[in-house]
Amino acid sequence: MNRRDFVSGVAAAGVAAAARPLRALPANKPLRLGVIGAGSRGQEVMRHFLHVPGVSVTAICDIYDPRFAQVNRIVGNDVWGTKDLNTFLTHGDMDAVLIASPLACHAEHVLATAETGLPIYCEKAMGFTPDQCQKILSELEARKTLFQIGHQYRYASWVVEAVKRIHAGEIGEPLQVYAYWHRNGNWRRPVPSPDPDKKLEHLINWRLYRETSGGLVTELGSHHIDLANWVFGERQPHSVLGTTSIARYHDGRTVGDNVQATFEYSKGRRMFFSSITDNAKVGNEVWVYGTEGSVSLTIEDATFYYEKKKSNAPAPSGKTIVQRGIETGASYATHGEMPYRGEGARVKVAEHEDPTLSAVESFIGAVRGEHPPVADAHVGYGSAIACAVAHDAVFTESKTAIPPFKA
Amino acid sequence: MRSKGRTELRLIRFVMALALLAAAEAVAVPQKMAAPFVFKHAAMGTEFEIVLIDQNRALASAMAELAFDEVDRLEELLSNYRETSELSRVNRLAGQGPVTVDPEMFAFLSAAEHWSRASDGAFDMSVGPLMRVWGFFQHAGRVPSDAEIAKAKRVVGWKLVKLDVATRTVRFLRDGVELDPGGIGKGFAVDAAVRLLREHGVERALISAGSSTIYGMGSPPGERGWKVIVRSPVLPKRVISTVYLRDESLSSANCTEKNFTAAGVMYCHIFDPRTGQPVRGRVHVSVIHPSATASDALSNVLFVQSPDEAMSTLRRFVPDARALVLYERNGLKCATFRWSGTIKGCR
Repeated sequence: MNRRDFVSGVAAAGVAAAARPLRALPANKPLRLGVIGAGSRGQEVMRHFLHVPGVSVTAICDIYDPRFAQVNRIVGNDVWGTKDLNTFLTHGDMDAVLIASPLACHAEHVLATAETGLPIYCEKAMGFTPDQCQKILSELEARKTLFQIGHQYRYASWVVEAVKRIHAGEIGEPLQVYAYWHRNGNWRRPVPSPDPDKKLEHLINWRLYRETSGGLVTELGSHHIDLANWVFGERQPHSVLGTTSIARYHDGRTVGDNVQATFEYSKGRRMFFSSITDNAKVGNEVWVYGTEGSVSLTIEDATFYYEKKKSNAPAPSGKTIVQRGIETGASYATHGEMPYRGEGARVKVAEHEDPTLSAVESFIGAVRGEHPPVADAHVGYGSAIACAVAHDAVFTESKTAIPPFKA
Repeated sequence: MRSKGRTELRLIRFVMALALLAAAEAVAVPQKMAAPFVFKHAAMGTEFEIVLIDQNRALASAMAELAFDEVDRLEELLSNYRETSELSRVNRLAGQGPVTVDPEMFAFLSAAEHWSRASDGAFDMSVGPLMRVWGFFQHAGRVPSDAEIAKAKRVVGWKLVKLDVATRTVRFLRDGVELDPGGIGKGFAVDAAVRLLREHGVERALISAGSSTIYGMGSPPGERGWKVIVRSPVLPKRVISTVYLRDESLSSANCTEKNFTAAGVMYCHIFDPRTGQPVRGRVHVSVIHPSATASDALSNVLFVQSPDEAMSTLRRFVPDARALVLYERNGLKCATFRWSGTIKGCR
């Protein structure tokens, strides 16, 4: 299977992906990309778009002046730019739009872009508040907008293969997902000085403030929640119970510098997410625990481990035990408490491409009418609504229901 | 192509200076220079270090994190160990046909091509297969047979890598070619970190990639630049030269850290891609240039080329560089090019 086949295969395996562009872009026509929000993540996704033949960046919308020069350097030529969203959306020289603005702006930017009929690649999370998530999905459905959310794990070849094997029963019944994103850093970006009214601080470090940021659950955990949705085969979790605090960075931020949250799925299945910012030992890792094995999923690989085989079948030699007796001795075996995990079986795939590049390639295929998007608007809603509810729930520390989408 | 040699860096002991702001309407205010903050970060198989002054701790920490994030991003781009890196993608696919890369990667590959052309192949990012047959990738040095060397050389050669600026693509003319960023990648990352720090208003800083490539931004207060000491790789207590960096980089190469000895002969990990043999006779090279990408690549070029060739390359292609080449020819000799520091211990 080559790379192109893989990307198409990922799309073909998608579920509930009915949206298509109103007018598909011909396969041989270059794709002109407009970008709303050209910060660090926007720039990184933009670079991946530029890895695809025929793609050019033709328009930028951002309110922070330095971004325009940064984009010009990334793209290699001067790109038309504006600070005004309406001016951007009427620019015309675009076939698709990448939205990578701060989370609290997603609703405004997605809804306005959807009105133009242009396909949208939107960085996670899809929306900030529960109402926004509901409204965004409603509008995208009503307009049949081609929409892809930036959940790139859905396109990582090794994750796709691992989830396929989980669904086939290789680790028995998956009942728990434990996910970690542990870092050692203050999550703060430098702000130009002077900044007397803190405008730049809030513009650049928007992730640190509750009025603009979902905190660690959203900014780091939404990928993991999406993975749990996928593994459990559910659109979203039903409730969340969480907690957060500031343990290290007492620097004026209003989101926690650590968070722990448990998301409840049907039949008692759980997803646990932990993020801390003062120790990176665990790193970014998702564990799927099944009754017969475990799988580690990372942004670089996937590895299977298997529980020790147990036999409940009656032993044919039971007669011998009855006649000759059984020897007595100490019963404690340490290996029962700390089973040797071993190296595990790494998932082998032909292509180990960067997942964001795979996601971008798949999106371009969708824009060209080759297949529907995999990480579509419903996938985006499933993780975003969980994050939006967890945003307050980790402060109230009470179990909070996560509302399903009302069509 | 090499692991870098050690150029010892000594942080200057700052003399706290009191500066008086004299303005007609303002009271003179004494300003105390802040102590330097030193940050370290493991990346690209080495330890990056950033020294920042003029900032408070929180701002310095944020600046360092920003710069290290940029280094990590470039490691993601250029690593030939990570399967998901952009360079791995190029290595995997460019033998089958043209691979589109983004302008940054194209600029990196173009810089490598430039130094390959300028050095007539003394610099070559495709040298990896030679290093492998000599056992340097596995840390198990051995002398390969002539047949093994010949086989490795079939897929070594910068002319096997074709760049097309019009389509921004790279392709290999022979399947099996693979690019190794070792001789230029760290310099490229240092330049990117410097650019980012400048964009964020930093005027004075020292950035070091494992001490083999060092960039001095501005200069410490009252100093003419960031002081860098070049020690003898043979006799580490002996100072060969002392230089100052101000908005320029210094890169060094030598063989003291990666080599093996067989039958009484020491084999260096820096190769002459043209012969397929480890370089012999060179002891140490240091190059100063405003671009860390250039100084990094040049330190390889000058190590591989004979001293005469090296001086010729500098005159033709980088007349603004400064260089010191130590080599063995009936005793330790040195060749210099616009080198401003004093030199001890060689002639």
